[in-house]
Amino acid sequence: MKVLNIIGAWFENLLNHSGLYAMMLIQVLRKLPKPPWYPRQILIQAEQVGVQSLPVVLLTALFTGMVLALQSYVGFHRFGAESMVSMVVSLSMLRELGPVLVALMVAGRVGAQFAAELGTMRVSQQVDALWTLSTDPFRYLVTPRVIAVTMMLPLLVALADIVGIGGGCLISVALLGETPSVYLHNSIHFLTLNDFYSGIIKAMVFGSVIGIIGCTEGFHCSGGAQGVGQATTRAMVISAMSILVLDYILTAWLFQ
Amino acid sequence: MIKTSANTPKIQVCHLGKQFNGKVVLDDISLEVARGESMVVIGLSGTGKSVLMKCILGLLKPDSGQILVDGEDWSTLDETEQLERMRRIGMVFQNSALFDSLPVWQNVAFALLRRGKSNKQARSSASEILDLVGLPGIEDMMPSELSGGMVKRVGLARAICHKPEMVFYDEPLSGLDPVMSDAITKLMRRLHEEFCVTSVTIAHNMQLARNFGDRIAMLLDGRIYRILTPNELDSCQDPVVRQFVDGRAEGPIRVLEG
Repeated sequence: MKVLNIIGAWFENLLNHSGLYAMMLIQVLRKLPKPPWYPRQILIQAEQVGVQSLPVVLLTALFTGMVLALQSYVGFHRFGAESMVSMVVSLSMLRELGPVLVALMVAGRVGAQFAAELGTMRVSQQVDALWTLSTDPFRYLVTPRVIAVTMMLPLLVALADIVGIGGGCLISVALLGETPSVYLHNSIHFLTLNDFYSGIIKAMVFGSVIGIIGCTEGFHCSGGAQGVGQATTRAMVISAMSILVLDYILTAWLFQ
Repeated sequence: MIKTSANTPKIQVCHLGKQFNGKVVLDDISLEVARGESMVVIGLSGTGKSVLMKCILGLLKPDSGQILVDGEDWSTLDETEQLERMRRIGMVFQNSALFDSLPVWQNVAFALLRRGKSNKQARSSASEILDLVGLPGIEDMMPSELSGGMVKRVGLARAICHKPEMVFYDEPLSGLDPVMSDAITKLMRRLHEEFCVTSVTIAHNMQLARNFGDRIAMLLDGRIYRILTPNELDSCQDPVVRQFVDGRAEGPIRVLEG
């Protein structure tokens, strides 16, 4: 009986939170068409999300590209198809690893930041203060953050794609004796624009997921310091999980 | 168009009720605050003072009852209309709730900046109000650099910078030393008179209730128990009022079990 209770409570909690995320998304979409949009807030958040994530994102992409080149070389070398390394690196960066790894990194950095920031504002009544200063807290805090992360994630992914392919090239040229021109030619020759777009569309979806989950957790936070801590952890874990699940769904349904 | 006359109460709370998960917090509250009056609401912690204030401000939706301001029912307005009405109020939070990412002047002039005032205009208005609360020259400091008393006064400045008609205070003296408490009470009184505002204050501090309130409403178990003037506060022989005013744990109000 106790076990059932625990499972029930867990499930209720899960449904409750999914409901909150859905409501948040609906509210963002409902409020988006009408001003005020607070462009300054969007810019500030875009800088926080985009520019400040660059080091961690680019480093991730570089080393992923490099390790991918090494590993696929091992495999392809066994049946003499080393020239395929470049294609595997570029294809997997563009379609899969670019968007997913960048999104996971940003979820850890930005999703947690949103939840902590908004959560602290909520428990210290700064959200209520916005309301009493005739400013809609939702429009001022949530919408700019969601817009910023949805816009910046595709840009980060595009940069990560380039750096990742560059990393693969570096390893192939420096360690595996490939010539740069042949490597790059092979990389690009087999790609279609669809490969690139699919990654970018994924990035936009992941970006909005990170924004919605981080902001929901922060905005509906309660219970002081502990509440903010829990909200931050939940924002990170749930966005990371959602990214992985959504990645499969998007890949399976849209980009066969 | 709603007609208002000089004797329409500024704020009229009629039969307000609010529950949280089946627990009754406000149970049929009715209260009138006249134009230019300072009403202080006292009561034990957890008797619903903050909930009452949040309902008036539209931060919580009441389950029943009406909130009339100048004869207009605020509890049925939609979100945009409510936000629009917020221009007419100023709120001082218990912990001041300053925006810690913004410098002092942007905090103080926040409402003006959102209303499209230029930076220069907003900043000069902020400086003016900061002078008024006795804090000249701190425009560019961050809230984290201020002392407790300064934070309170900046919170006060932010609440009145856009010239509201009504100012709400949620325990404005919590965490202050007696000297600073008296200074802030005097400042509040001065601003109340200078700006001709209607004030509603939640207080635990009896000194504040006596010196700032024109009338004092005591809340008990989600209802208005008594409304008194500061003079009556000391002469009232009601045991419940006496226990609260004298601050004793023993008496008709049971605070400790057993």
